[in-house]
Amino acid sequence: MLSDNRMRASLQVAPLDLTKSRSEEAGDGSSSNNQTPKGESSLETSHLRSQMTPPVTPNGSQEDLSSVPTPHMPPIFHNFLRAFYPFHPSLAMADSSVTLPLDEGDVVLVHSIHTNGWADGTLLTSGARGWLPTNYCEAYEPEEMRSLLKALLNFWDLLRITTIDEDHMFQSQEFMKGLIGGVRYLLERTRCLTRESMLIKRCDPLRRCRKSLLSELSSLVKTAKQLQDLQTVAFEFPDEVNDVVDQMILKAFKVVTKGVRFLDVLDDDKRAHASSHTINTMPPVIEETCVPPTPPADRGAFVVQTQTVPDDRASAAATAGDEASLASEETNAVVAHPVQPNRWSKRLSSLNAPAGTHSNRHSQASMTQMNRLSANMAHRLSLAGPSPLSRPHHLVSERLSKSHDKFLSHLGSFIGRLHLQSQSRNELAIAIKQSAISGGELMAVVDAVNTQSSSMINALVSSRDALLDRIQDLVCAARDTLANAETEGADIIMPQDNTIMLNSATSCVRAAGECVALTKGVIERSGDFELESVGNALPLDLMVLDAAAPRSRTPSVAERSEAASVATSASSPARRPSVVALDKPLPRVPGSQPDEESTPPATTPKTSRPSSVVREAVSSPASSATSVGRTLPPLPKLTTTSIPPETTDNGSAREQDLHSSFDSMTGSSAGSSTTYLSRDSEVSIVSQSSTRATTPDQTLVPRNQPSLSELSAAGSSTHTEEVDDVESKLLMKTFAHELVFNKEGQVTGGTLAALVERLTTHEATPDATFVSAFYLTFRLFATPIQLTEALIDRFEYAEESPQTSGPIRLRVYNAFKGWLESHWRDQTDRDALKLIIPFAETRLNATLPSAGSRLLELTTRVSNEGALVPRLVSSMGKTNTAIGQYVPADLPLPSSIISKSQQSALQSFKAGGASPTILDFDPLELARQMTVKQMDIFCSILPEELLASQWMKKGGAEAPNVKAMSALSTDLSNMVAETILQHSELKKRAAVIKQWIKIAQSFLELHNYDGLMAIICSLNSSTITRLRKTWDAISQKRKEALRNLQEIVEPAQNNKVLRTKLHDHVPPCLPFLGMYLTDLTFVDIGNPSTKRVSLGSESEVDGAGGLTVVNFDKHTKTAKIIGELQRFQIPYRLTELPDMQDWLSAQFQQIRESSQGNVQVAYYRKSLLLEPRESLTKRETAESPATATAAAAGRPDIFGWITRDRVGQNSTPQA
Amino acid sequence: MPPRSPFSSTSFVSLSFSRELHVVVLGAGGVGKSCLTAQFVHNEWIESYDPTIEDSYRTQVQVDGRQVILEILDTAGTEQFGMKSLPSSPTALPTNSRVVAMRDLYMKTGQGFLLVFSITSPSSLSELESLREEIIRIKDEENVPMVIVGNKADLEEGRVIPRAKGFAVSQKWGAPYYEASARTRTNVDEVFIDLCRQMLRKDDETAEPDEGSKIDALKSANNKRRRRSKFRDSTHPRCVIL
Repeated sequence: MLSDNRMRASLQVAPLDLTKSRSEEAGDGSSSNNQTPKGESSLETSHLRSQMTPPVTPNGSQEDLSSVPTPHMPPIFHNFLRAFYPFHPSLAMADSSVTLPLDEGDVVLVHSIHTNGWADGTLLTSGARGWLPTNYCEAYEPEEMRSLLKALLNFWDLLRITTIDEDHMFQSQEFMKGLIGGVRYLLERTRCLTRESMLIKRCDPLRRCRKSLLSELSSLVKTAKQLQDLQTVAFEFPDEVNDVVDQMILKAFKVVTKGVRFLDVLDDDKRAHASSHTINTMPPVIEETCVPPTPPADRGAFVVQTQTVPDDRASAAATAGDEASLASEETNAVVAHPVQPNRWSKRLSSLNAPAGTHSNRHSQASMTQMNRLSANMAHRLSLAGPSPLSRPHHLVSERLSKSHDKFLSHLGSFIGRLHLQSQSRNELAIAIKQSAISGGELMAVVDAVNTQSSSMINALVSSRDALLDRIQDLVCAARDTLANAETEGADIIMPQDNTIMLNSATSCVRAAGECVALTKGVIERSGDFELESVGNALPLDLMVLDAAAPRSRTPSVAERSEAASVATSASSPARRPSVVALDKPLPRVPGSQPDEESTPPATTPKTSRPSSVVREAVSSPASSATSVGRTLPPLPKLTTTSIPPETTDNGSAREQDLHSSFDSMTGSSAGSSTTYLSRDSEVSIVSQSSTRATTPDQTLVPRNQPSLSELSAAGSSTHTEEVDDVESKLLMKTFAHELVFNKEGQVTGGTLAALVERLTTHEATPDATFVSAFYLTFRLFATPIQLTEALIDRFEYAEESPQTSGPIRLRVYNAFKGWLESHWRDQTDRDALKLIIPFAETRLNATLPSAGSRLLELTTRVSNEGALVPRLVSSMGKTNTAIGQYVPADLPLPSSIISKSQQSALQSFKAGGASPTILDFDPLELARQMTVKQMDIFCSILPEELLASQWMKKGGAEAPNVKAMSALSTDLSNMVAETILQHSELKKRAAVIKQWIKIAQSFLELHNYDGLMAIICSLNSSTITRLRKTWDAISQKRKEALRNLQEIVEPAQNNKVLRTKLHDHVPPCLPFLGMYLTDLTFVDIGNPSTKRVSLGSESEVDGAGGLTVVNFDKHTKTAKIIGELQRFQIPYRLTELPDMQDWLSAQFQQIRESSQGNVQVAYYRKSLLLEPRESLTKRETAESPATATAAAAGRPDIFGWITRDRVGQNSTPQA
Repeated sequence: MPPRSPFSSTSFVSLSFSRELHVVVLGAGGVGKSCLTAQFVHNEWIESYDPTIEDSYRTQVQVDGRQVILEILDTAGTEQFGMKSLPSSPTALPTNSRVVAMRDLYMKTGQGFLLVFSITSPSSLSELESLREEIIRIKDEENVPMVIVGNKADLEEGRVIPRAKGFAVSQKWGAPYYEASARTRTNVDEVFIDLCRQMLRKDDETAEPDEGSKIDALKSANNKRRRRSKFRDSTHPRCVIL
């Protein structure tokens, strides 16, 4: 009874008294301890209040914690908190909210902080999300970790909000770079970047921590690759993608956890080292456990395993089981758990993740293509297979997929290179050879399948033969080309020779696809089987290629060209062919040192407990006992709920519980407006996705608690070689952490070095938008000299990583080439030649001789001729195809509408006779000729004229074409007014107005919106609209037409009508230039040119942790607008009438000369003369009803005159 | 990454009762009027500003308990040549008649006007004179909601237009005068809010278009304005401390 009441009371404690509690806290920590129970009983009736009270501070000395929001403090939001005191909610009272049990040292990603001091957070060690008391935590943002923590935030944001449709982002793998960069930053800061560093050598635990951190990272990288491949089949298996994303989030958490752990150990070591040198002689385990205040954050990893074991980790644990158990023996683990393979396989069989987490390079490949080709099938096969774990790589289906994938990637990179670059004979020969070899392997697998299956399948046999033929063709073609090249003595194969090879390579791809599909069908029918070794079934002598390219024997060249080929093919991940890997002995496992994971938890009762104990503790009230007994005062009675006890054994049930209760909790937090601080206001809206981390596994199969040995194995699961891989990645100098992305994965900022790195990325073809924006705008944030230096620097530091230096250097060369060829601006860029020429002569020439000479050639050309392919910067030559697409050249030109008499009138004008007026010509023809004139200027507008509000400065001297375009439109506007006002006869004026309306209509037909704007503006100016008598003489139909035209150019809602029209408009079209100018101006004004990036939390913005980077987002926006404008820079296909052009020019010239000074005032005076002002009273009466109507309709007064006009005519105001 | 305010998304609600008002920002080139616009419409929590979307220049404000949607019209970027043209040069462009023509369109649409000059440029103030005349001509009435803004108030050392001059103009035109700084975001909201008040008041007045009351309203509005500008005068220090 009593407990029942208690429970209900506790649910109703409102956040209100928390202010009180806080203030009390500030005054006296101890008094607040008594406060909670009182509050409980007094607020029993308020059902709608939040269900949580924060536990009061366990320690009075912690009251000044910055993470506890206090009213007098400016709110500082900490993204990460670390528990300094364990928190285990002891009373499981209701399931309406989820509290997060915390262990000392746990790090939490915070989503929002409620006013009552509870924070919605995700525990990094487990990925569990729930409420936690901020007063148990302190802000966690050590300088060394900043970059990594920041990267984790981005990672979380990106993966959490992304739907699987946006696969382009996954393809780029950009989101991984941040984390890798973060780890690198951490290691760099702690001077532990290389294995050889002093610290690492000195301190064994540190070394192990570092290793475990790297292996975690490599595991994450692997999963990311998996995701990338899954993307191709995403629409079929969305669940799998989600699973992988969940895994990735958990893995990213683990990476950070390991980082935290690493830093802790480092701190301990430093302290220990400083205090006593003898400690070095102590066994590492003891050293680790004896240092009191730093509970290793990693300890929580055990909790991870029990709560939400990521699928891949489990399988990894399995494969690495032997090694791990060995390791734990060596460290004198208290409990040595036997490996239990049957359990693993049982679990694994329920997983979609492929079994192949083996750790040599094969596995990566096999995993990759297994998913790509047929994730579903792989899944089924692994179920069917006898023991997928014992020898995970020898299943024939996997072999098939693997070899197919390899074949494709070789061919793909080969084809890519054919398209892109001219290449040396050597490279070509090697590429062909590799393709052929991998093709042979593929065929060997096919043969094996064929022999195994009882009946030979004819279709398969024939498709295999077809594949063989294709490969033969390819090799022959390559041989011929090589032979040709040799006789000509050329070292470079020029692209024109490539057509034959290209064709045969493509047909190879096709044949291989058919063949593999058939083979798979066979496997599926006859069952999977193991295949030990793969031979090469290619009955070809590849020596011809070797002969053609003698130098290719040297391995270094081979490797380099391989790397290059990988880089040029956008999609193939950088991996070595297994030919190489097969020959290579497995790398030595460095030492037999156990991984730090296997440190037996039982030996450290004070700071860590076995996970099962933790689990029990969570659900039993006795848990507080385990944590009490330290110097801290006893915990206050906790009033919030905890995980229901019965779920402890059943992972999935618990997850569901968590799921549902979390949803309800989200609902409540969304409903209350009291959420104090939030990292993201979306938090409460996206409840579905926010549970992602909490529910990494959707399967309903109950899972057993993993054994301890399994857990300890998990840490050392990844093999050394992969760690090495990641390590080499880390050692690569990179500026990736200085790059900022938005949630769509676009670059929004970065330092020059980081942007240049992005421009020359070796991992994928650079994003076209980025490249064009970069070239167009780089002069706004760097001088050409600086860019050159950055590029050269990039060329130099690429050397540090031999695997990638080849492709990177090629990219650097290409970057220079692109700049010189199509983006060179002689007047600004000339200085850079002083650097580029020596670079091309020496450095580039030494590495890539042909590139060096080509670049030199380009430098001489630009210095003589200027830009080689000028203009069309941001549309990247789109225009050329656009012309072909939209305006077929064979379409006959529209015939000119001009009569003999009109022609002769123009002739006589030319001869000095009287000038015809606009009334003398057909309005459509007039519109055409004006359009031709305007388009002529519009097409010559250069993109650089539009940068940095150039046209606004120095009287537009730097933007002559923008200026000319504007001037012409101005002349047109003036011509409208002039031609109307020059007639004193009302009828004539009306006729001219009518003619202009017709011309405006023709403009619309021609999609000349700039001209349309000019006419409408003028007709709608007060000077003209006030000529009421003239307007009366114009037919209603004509005025209606004008009104329709006006609606198009109406400025309301940011020119909505016009923008909609221009969006996806097909050229030819002349858009309204002014709109682009306004847009560009506001992009320029509304966005700062630099932005500060805090590497850690934003509270440090002004601290040293921040970094000022180029606001590339601004430049991307600018380039986008300019690109949009350029889209329309395509001339009309209209016949130019020279005589009429001359006449128009003369008219414009006349207008221009006569309209010096304040022409508008002059026009207005003229207008007053023509139709003097009516008396005030008369007008008032005529007008007031109309204005009232307009006002009542809430419409802007733009068409007021029309309404007015109608009132005057038929006195029926139009609503 | 600044913490995003959890309340920001809640400010766009209940559109049913809110009025839509069009404000035209006018001024010579280089006075920073577009900065003023950008500052006002740009939600500071959004990292980047995209002027090409429909609501780029729309924002909702609350004025004296009333919800108002303001749409700002600004021809930024198209007024470039008018200020710089040299009538003597044969190639020079005529005065900004095109812009004037466009401006006509905007002025017709606008219900309230922000007249912006820079306290560091004397010509920018004299430019306003003709702009105001134009507004009155186009609107065909004297009582047009207007606010005079002396921008770049953060550049006190470059000041060439004394504050007193600004207030003198304010008295003459019967429109309140503010000194603002788009850069430091000083008085940015205030000028728009003031203009909003005037527009709302005018709206209320025109609801009863009786001749007599209109003149009364006009008078009282003028009085109010004078009062307000005096009020500004007294609270001067607020503008000065930048």
